Amino acid sequence: MAGQGPSRRELIQAMTIAAAASTFGGFARWNFAHAESMAHHEQDSAIKPLVRPVYTPHFFTPSEYRTVDELSELILPAVSVSAASKTTNARSVRQPGARDVGVAEFIDFTVFSEPALQPRFRDGLRWLDQAAAPASSFISLSAEQQHAILNRLAYAKYHRKSEAPGQQFFILMRRYTVMGFYTTREGLESLDFPGLTFYSTSPGCTHPDNPEHSGL
Amino acid sequence: MNTYDVIVIGTGAGGGMAIKTLCEAGLKVCALNAGLQLEPAKDFREHKLPYDMKFRGFGSPQQQAQSLGYMDSEYVASDAWEHEIAYTTTEGTHWTWPRSNAVGGKTNFWGRSAARMSQIDFKAASRDGYDVDWPISYEEIAPYYKRVEEFIGVASTIQNRPSNPDGSYLPPMRFRCMDYILQAGAQKLDIPYLPDRMAQLTQAHNGHPPCHYCGNCTEGCDVGAFFSSPYFLLPLAQATGNLDLRTNAIAREILVDEDGRAKGVAYVERESRRELEVYAKVIVVAASCITTAQIMLNSRSRHWPAGIANFSGQLGKNLCDHLYGTSGYGYMPQLLGQPSFPDNVTAGTVAWLPRWQNLQNPREEKFIRGYSFYPGGGCDIFPGFYDDIEGYGASYRSEIKRRYPTPVSLTVQAPSQRSDHNYVDIDPVKKDVFGIPQVRVSFQWDDNTLKMWNHSTEVCKALFSAMGAVYQGHSEPQSPGWSLHETGTCRMGNDPAHFVTNRFGQSHDVPNLYACDASVFLNCTDKTTTLSILAFSLRTSEYIVDKFKTGDLASGAPIQS
Repeated sequence: MAGQGPSRRELIQAMTIAAAASTFGGFARWNFAHAESMAHHEQDSAIKPLVRPVYTPHFFTPSEYRTVDELSELILPAVSVSAASKTTNARSVRQPGARDVGVAEFIDFTVFSEPALQPRFRDGLRWLDQAAAPASSFISLSAEQQHAILNRLAYAKYHRKSEAPGQQFFILMRRYTVMGFYTTREGLESLDFPGLTFYSTSPGCTHPDNPEHSGL
Repeated sequence: MNTYDVIVIGTGAGGGMAIKTLCEAGLKVCALNAGLQLEPAKDFREHKLPYDMKFRGFGSPQQQAQSLGYMDSEYVASDAWEHEIAYTTTEGTHWTWPRSNAVGGKTNFWGRSAARMSQIDFKAASRDGYDVDWPISYEEIAPYYKRVEEFIGVASTIQNRPSNPDGSYLPPMRFRCMDYILQAGAQKLDIPYLPDRMAQLTQAHNGHPPCHYCGNCTEGCDVGAFFSSPYFLLPLAQATGNLDLRTNAIAREILVDEDGRAKGVAYVERESRRELEVYAKVIVVAASCITTAQIMLNSRSRHWPAGIANFSGQLGKNLCDHLYGTSGYGYMPQLLGQPSFPDNVTAGTVAWLPRWQNLQNPREEKFIRGYSFYPGGGCDIFPGFYDDIEGYGASYRSEIKRRYPTPVSLTVQAPSQRSDHNYVDIDPVKKDVFGIPQVRVSFQWDDNTLKMWNHSTEVCKALFSAMGAVYQGHSEPQSPGWSLHETGTCRMGNDPAHFVTNRFGQSHDVPNLYACDASVFLNCTDKTTTLSILAFSLRTSEYIVDKFKTGDLASGAPIQS
């Protein structure tokens, strides 16, 4: 048969990018998203620190881009998780967030490449700034004020009928943040994505004696 | 030299098996392939991850504009999928048709489910009164299935299912957590849940290495750990010195002699657009079901004004296909928060739910025949369920991780039945960039298939409940063409007035012309097509070899009831 695994196929279908990106100039951060290990390397050796180029947005204005960057980090922030280490004590490990892996660069490049997305992002960002009034912009708000707005957009119980455009923009922004984040090595590692390795035999269930998997 | 014993059009499962069998028998073979020769190390990107690609695997804008989705993606060289040869559809037909014309065709990327068809399939018309039986019995084809399975390596178990004859198998892949959960639910409903028949090597086999479970099989396997024509068949043919493989050679029409017999093939070179001819004593068409019909319908001459070997008028008719769709999806709360598990490193169907309907009594359901399910889910390369979760921030992240092992879905594989409305012909006006008249597809799902679909969605609701999963809904059926399991344009049968080919895939009208792909199948059954294409092609190819041995290329086959 032609391929039952629907996920990547659906993933590919999830986006329809309609236009060419002929002037693509490369990324600053997510090309270097693997560079955390490199950072340790830099400290330990005489190798000169890598100079990361500054990413110049292709579509967003500088102020829009800052908002996208801020939103992406609010949606998928860096977190501390306790990792049960091989030694007995659980320790806290920092997992990178959207900003660390350059999700805003991914979104800018994607929106730049797909004209149909451009008004949806531009109008949505404008809506967000207007919702920040009397402040001049969403990004100028305190963290508390930003969360107050996002909570109204993100949770059905706080929805306001008049804010439907903002709710739709939030869903759009979250979608592209998720797409940009979980397609990086850091994002996949945060899921313990098990496909980063090879196996000599087909991996099998570790509790076949509990077929219904109740009470795990 | 431009004259051969046999010309084979197509190098996929059917063509590849014919090429190997004929070359090994000492015949000089010219193989015409419409696309290029892939270089696995360069063209397959199955070991790449999303961040290795500029568009993270979502595809470039150009790709998205042209692509039919599917495996035609950033993970595969774009030339592996056809973008130049055009086709049309009649009004109201929504035909989605990703084609691979690279050497080996779809076997480079196929889903590897490899079940035998059965006597219940071949004699289905006698059981339920619809359409006609196949002109062969299961006993007749069973030895060829066995030889094919032993050659390519199929992982499965002995299952004793009435509609699913068992074969010769390598050890099966192991069940994952979700398989046990699904199986426990299916048992409550008395539905079978078993290891699939997978043409994927669970151990080294016939000089081919075992699978290393990287999980991206449908992007092409650069070690050849599952059956594909370029890894399993063509090298053996090449080793004989009897094969002349011409790539980017698009067959335009079959040439005939003064008596209307096939004498050669006219083809167009893709790059240069030059038109060339090649000649042989026997022509085998194995260009895949629809393209095979297109080539034959485009082969018009004084003898064959309606297309070569079309005395019956059935050439291009009787098109069948599998309806695909997600009949149910949701998640398994049992696995919330469980450690991530390599659920998808076999890239698909560890297990299947083989046909259980209409077996005892052919009319026990509201539809005739039957369908099967392929389950999927678990930890995948992308957390596609993200919109199911409310909110944002650290709690949103942790909920994505908690839900990560839990998704589950069932893909239905439901066969359409023969219908006068489903066929291909030649567009009266349109030609492709090579000057070849385009094939035109006319296809609608029939009522029986849609009844199966509705049945399958109800079964999923019950199954999710029985297995303790949360049911979230179902998709709409995929548009026809999507499964790539077309059958029927050159159906085999004993009566030359009603069938294009005889029970050996030999044209009734033009005895030195054969079809070696799914075009000869009466319908698509509930099984996948590739294993049967290999078995039928092997049988036809050995029949051709016998014809050469006896020097009797001009006669047909004796009728066998």
